[in-house]
Amino acid sequence: MQIIISNSSKEPIYEQILKQIQTAILSGELAEGDALPSIRQLAKDLKISVITTKRAYEELEKAGFIYSIVGKGSFIAEQNLEVIREKKLRVIEEQLSAVISNSKEIGLPYEELQELLKLLYEE
Amino acid sequence: MENVIELHDVSKSLKAFTIHNMDLQIKQGYVTGFIGANGAGKSTTMKLIMNLLQPDNGEINVFGLDYASHEKEIKNRIGFVYDSNIFYESLNLKDISRIIAPAYTHWDQQQFKAYVNQFDLPLNKPMKKFSKGMQMKASIAMALSHDAELIVMDEPTAGLDPTSRRELLDIFQEVMVDGKRTILFSTHITSDLDRIADFIVLIDEGEILIDKPVYELQEQYAVVKGSNELLDADTEVYFIKIERSPNGFQALTKEAAKVRGVFGKHVVIEEASLEEIMFYMKGARNLYG
Amino acid sequence: MANLIRRDLIIQKYQLYLFIPFILFFIFAGSHMSAFFIFVFAGFFIPINAYSYDEKVETNILLNSLPYTRTQIIASRYIGAIFYMAVSIVITTALFYVFNRPFTWADIAIGAGITLTLFSFSFPLFYLLKPGNIGTAVTIGFILFVVLSGPTVMFFEEYLTPVVDFLMNVSSFAIYLSGAGIITALYAISWIISQIIYQRKTF
Repeated sequence: MQIIISNSSKEPIYEQILKQIQTAILSGELAEGDALPSIRQLAKDLKISVITTKRAYEELEKAGFIYSIVGKGSFIAEQNLEVIREKKLRVIEEQLSAVISNSKEIGLPYEELQELLKLLYEE
Repeated sequence: MENVIELHDVSKSLKAFTIHNMDLQIKQGYVTGFIGANGAGKSTTMKLIMNLLQPDNGEINVFGLDYASHEKEIKNRIGFVYDSNIFYESLNLKDISRIIAPAYTHWDQQQFKAYVNQFDLPLNKPMKKFSKGMQMKASIAMALSHDAELIVMDEPTAGLDPTSRRELLDIFQEVMVDGKRTILFSTHITSDLDRIADFIVLIDEGEILIDKPVYELQEQYAVVKGSNELLDADTEVYFIKIERSPNGFQALTKEAAKVRGVFGKHVVIEEASLEEIMFYMKGARNLYG
Repeated sequence: MANLIRRDLIIQKYQLYLFIPFILFFIFAGSHMSAFFIFVFAGFFIPINAYSYDEKVETNILLNSLPYTRTQIIASRYIGAIFYMAVSIVITTALFYVFNRPFTWADIAIGAGITLTLFSFSFPLFYLLKPGNIGTAVTIGFILFVVLSGPTVMFFEEYLTPVVDFLMNVSSFAIYLSGAGIITALYAISWIISQIIYQRKTF
């Protein structure tokens, strides 16, 4: 798994790690039971502080993505991908509804919206 | 044991300044960066921790032990680096290591040689012919070669070129991997800390102004820029120190979330660097203190 | 503790090469001097030279950051001084023997006694002095010593030799014992004073 940290990004470093590991889990790159690098090893490899990686792992654990065993390290937890997918879908639905109501407000026809969406999706 | 170093209510009066009722805890397994202007009390605090100075009042514990009855045991577990050369100037590194090595119960000659090679240090050249950077590296090699659990460093990167500084930071991260060690590291080159520090302690005039994990600093502190009309008695309370100019103000806040809520898009909010925090905090003290 | 004492040898590696020529110089050039006088020089050389390395603040920071206590640092100085004085006197005695210079056991005893007395006075004084001043103090002391050594030697020749002879003749066990007792007490008091001074020092 590759993790790439940007120091100039507005997003806090722990969030960057969090998101990249999440993405790796959701895309199936990391599967249940896979071991993550230790907090300290990852900190050293990414040249960032220990407490930052620790925070990322803690958040992942809270969200149920990983679990930790004292003395052994952190592992990918069992994921109910169906459920996660459904949740994501619901979020997408909500966001699209907002887009549609905004479009209607300015009288943007469906075809143009579709065109715009297509353009952005392929970007 | 969670804290490696504990200062309770420590006071010390020196000619130049005083430390008043200082409380400080340094957490085990982390890198704590100790920052402050020159003469803020960093070295004095380090000396108190090393028992080179004894407090007038209060208690200092290292590894949960006190110096009065466990001085040797404590120091056996500490590696130290000072900002000036404390080794005999006429001796070469080999002879100095022959003096230092037997003092420690866990001296690791292999490890020492490995660092000497890595740092490219000559063994047969007298210390006084070493450059400042070489002296610092020699000192670090010795501090890291006896399995110390606590590494206390006073300005270890002073006098080093950028390449050497990076090299050292890599080594510090490497020794932190097993989680047994703790580093306390004073510096006024705050960019060294951006990368490796877990906790930041800011000291000024013998008083600790900030003691927080880095992410809290990043979340809470911010530099805010906006136009002067936005400032009034109600809004100024959010700022630690405000700098005004005819073209607008710049200020430091430690309530970034609130400021975002109050001013919204009318101001620019940027993450505050350690340098900016240091600068504004000191400015605020000069204003009110 | 042994490490602290051994340290003096490592620090003085090069000066030690000077030691034997230094003593030989006294044996040959100082033929007018009493033998005990040379023993004083010999016994004084290494411990005082070692001390001059310890005067620096930096050295004290180093020693106090290593796993040693202040009590040990002072103890190593006092025990080391006796040890190096003893070794120096043994070497000097051997040189005397090799080069056929006459001496008596009394010379050794008195030499050692004077040396220890000098240590007793100089160590606490040095711990009191500000770092950087000890070199000056030693230099001034040495110049005074050279300037005064002529008259002093004459004085010793005149008065002390009879005293020595007196001690030799009357030499009862009691006189030696009380001499040794006084010097031991002096050394012990000096040790305690140095200890108190050093305990309070700030670096």
